[in-house]
Amino acid sequence: MANLVWLQGATDNGCSISFLNTHEPDVAQLIRRFEVNIAFHPTINPTSGPEAMRSLEPYAQGEKPLDVLIVEGAVQTGPNGTGEYCIVGERPFKELVQELARAAHYVVAIGTCASFGGIAAAEPNPTEATGLQFHRDQRGGFLGADYRSKAGLPVVNISGCPAHPDRLVHTLAAVLLGKGGAIQLDEYQRPLDFYGSLTHDACPNNEYFEYKQSAEHFTDKGCLFEELGCKGPLTHSDCNRRLWNLHSSKTRAGSPCMGCTEPGFPDEYVPFFETVKTRAGFPRKLPLGTSRTTYMAMAASAKLACPDRLKSGKNKKK
Amino acid sequence: MAIRTIELSPVTRIEGHLEFKVEVEGGAVQEAYASGALFRGFELMLKGRHPMDALAFTPRICGVCPTSHSIAATKALDDAFQAEVPPNAHLMRSVLLGVENTMSHATAFYALFGPDLVNPKYANHPAYGELNQRLAPLSGTSYLGAVKARVKLDEIFALLGGQHPHGNCFVPGGITFKPDLAHITKALVILMEAREFVEETILGGKVDRWLEVKSLADVDQWMGEGRHAQSDLGLFIQLGPQLGMDKLGRGPGNFVAYGVYDQSDGQPWLKRGFFDGQFHELDQARITEHVKHSWYQDYDGGKHPGQGETRPHLDRSNSQKYSFAKSPRYRDHVAEVGPLARMINDQDPLVLDLAQKLGPNVYTRVLARLHEAVRTLAQVEKWLHQIDVSKPFYHKPRHPKEAIGTGMTEAARGALGHWVQIKKGVIESYQVITPTAWNVSPRDFMDQPGAIEQAVIGTPVPDEANPVEVQHVIRSFDPCIACTVHLIRGSKELKALEV
Repeated sequence: MANLVWLQGATDNGCSISFLNTHEPDVAQLIRRFEVNIAFHPTINPTSGPEAMRSLEPYAQGEKPLDVLIVEGAVQTGPNGTGEYCIVGERPFKELVQELARAAHYVVAIGTCASFGGIAAAEPNPTEATGLQFHRDQRGGFLGADYRSKAGLPVVNISGCPAHPDRLVHTLAAVLLGKGGAIQLDEYQRPLDFYGSLTHDACPNNEYFEYKQSAEHFTDKGCLFEELGCKGPLTHSDCNRRLWNLHSSKTRAGSPCMGCTEPGFPDEYVPFFETVKTRAGFPRKLPLGTSRTTYMAMAASAKLACPDRLKSGKNKKK
Repeated sequence: MAIRTIELSPVTRIEGHLEFKVEVEGGAVQEAYASGALFRGFELMLKGRHPMDALAFTPRICGVCPTSHSIAATKALDDAFQAEVPPNAHLMRSVLLGVENTMSHATAFYALFGPDLVNPKYANHPAYGELNQRLAPLSGTSYLGAVKARVKLDEIFALLGGQHPHGNCFVPGGITFKPDLAHITKALVILMEAREFVEETILGGKVDRWLEVKSLADVDQWMGEGRHAQSDLGLFIQLGPQLGMDKLGRGPGNFVAYGVYDQSDGQPWLKRGFFDGQFHELDQARITEHVKHSWYQDYDGGKHPGQGETRPHLDRSNSQKYSFAKSPRYRDHVAEVGPLARMINDQDPLVLDLAQKLGPNVYTRVLARLHEAVRTLAQVEKWLHQIDVSKPFYHKPRHPKEAIGTGMTEAARGALGHWVQIKKGVIESYQVITPTAWNVSPRDFMDQPGAIEQAVIGTPVPDEANPVEVQHVIRSFDPCIACTVHLIRGSKELKALEV
């Protein structure tokens, strides 16, 4: 039996809703097969009010083991350090996080808000919100850079707005199967299994990208990177390899990737629906790891090499 | 008898942060205080941003009903950009919103409201064992069936809109995805599966048969047929009155609906209106927000959201103020929003008959929700059939540097509006009024309590240690506090509902 407590701070609950979409295991299977006791989740709890709050006490005080603490949403420290922009059971949410993080064997930040501040901390960050162990790309956040859970690990960040359910469920599964120590994290404490490649990977528009055929308007055929603001080649996620709700992804539906898994989301990735360009007409932000000169050379030869079947009407040979 | 204060904070099994306090005297609630306990400041974040970026920010107000925010934001920009929206795009938007709202209704009934029916208070009721088997959180057969059906419906969303929650396929001028015929047929097949759950578990019979039910008398007849009475809806129709839910949670008796689900001609499928005993046209210019009892810088009276402001000011020494929710009012009236308000303003014969004979209450509110879910699911199928994949799904609009726009729609839990002003090509001001702000609002400038506060006043509390009656009332509104970006005397006579 593993005890799990799920708290919600400055969040839209989108990660909880996304979690409910898990397949293999679905929520019921997760609970049954892994003997998970969801000791507290604000949207699931049978009890309410002070009774619900009291159920947290034995975990905070170490009378019952708190195997996994999941935090959804940023921690708001405002106004003026009081944390009173978010009250749970008449207490600032931040106090609850502090107490339970002290007692937890593993702490998981679900979603970009809990991981890095995310939308909740977007400029001008009116509620002084921050992630659990990062503030945007700076280590520290609410719990501090040195925080370690009882298992000796920093906060595990499952970013995304929302996070894909597999990223959480299979991180949990690894922990529950005794393989928590084998989880490899990247520099932002995200499991590499899910954040080791780019959203661009397995995007069905990749052939258009390869030959630099860009969609000018929504619903046109073509790649969304050069005109329509897609951040797929700049963003670590498995959205196109894993797929959402078993079927699709943003870029598969003609919508630009927004960089929502990254520490700089949202402010470093705006505008979301158009590409900011240099005077030479190339995207100001290039695919990760490419240089401007090689990208320009690649683009020029790619256009020359483009097969006719990929070209839009006006570029096709007569 | 002494007045006793009961803390119900935090109210769980709603979406987000609601703190609730009632004062009880003589076994009933005398005063009620609903406090939105989270401030996120979206209006402040949006100022100065690219207008299109509102399409990414505002759905993140609510992960439960992001599509309603997407559609409100998109319609506000459609309006500001004077976009020409192709019929296919109207249909796609309505399909995706319909799917989301239906899922949300299923969640509201099974995951949020339903578990209170297995409260220990009802342990001696003959149906308790059956209820427990069906509705217990995370183990009840219907609860788990609903979770599965939800996941299934979400697949339709992904097929046509990329992902759920937080696909970003909605743009002024249309939608980003041009489906092919195979996407449409697949969506229809998944819809058939969802319909099976509705017919097997919720109705115990055919959707088409339920849609013929137009009055309370028809309900009685329906209950006598086949296995209808043993279905979840059938069980609730029997239990609601037995548990006294038709006497609980009357509310203000005024109902606002903005109109929703644009059809191929751009006209809404469910009509907009204001009902206060009579049907009125809705004039959005008469919507205002008050902050006298909310933690914002004071202003007199109410402001239309087009001129609205959001300046948080958490001053606990000012005992008049107790919520981050503002108080939206229509022509200065407190109004309820949600499925009951939509069905009344749409003049749905069944719900009108229920409201006329039984009044607004927990029972009719929950029935209206389930009824609307069935109606909407059937309608989504029709819209899918009307999509013509050979025609356009998007026309690019121009982007004027100076414009204003209003986007009004309906989330599962009620009327949702976005108001945007664009200056020099960026957002000058953005105001959102969420459905939960309508329902969960604190008192207004005239000190009238909000809709849920009014509904809770007078509720009997026979057991102060287990005030489940109050929970029924609150959860019957399906409040969603993630949305809420920003007390009454029991003796006050409530307006009678006359149709």
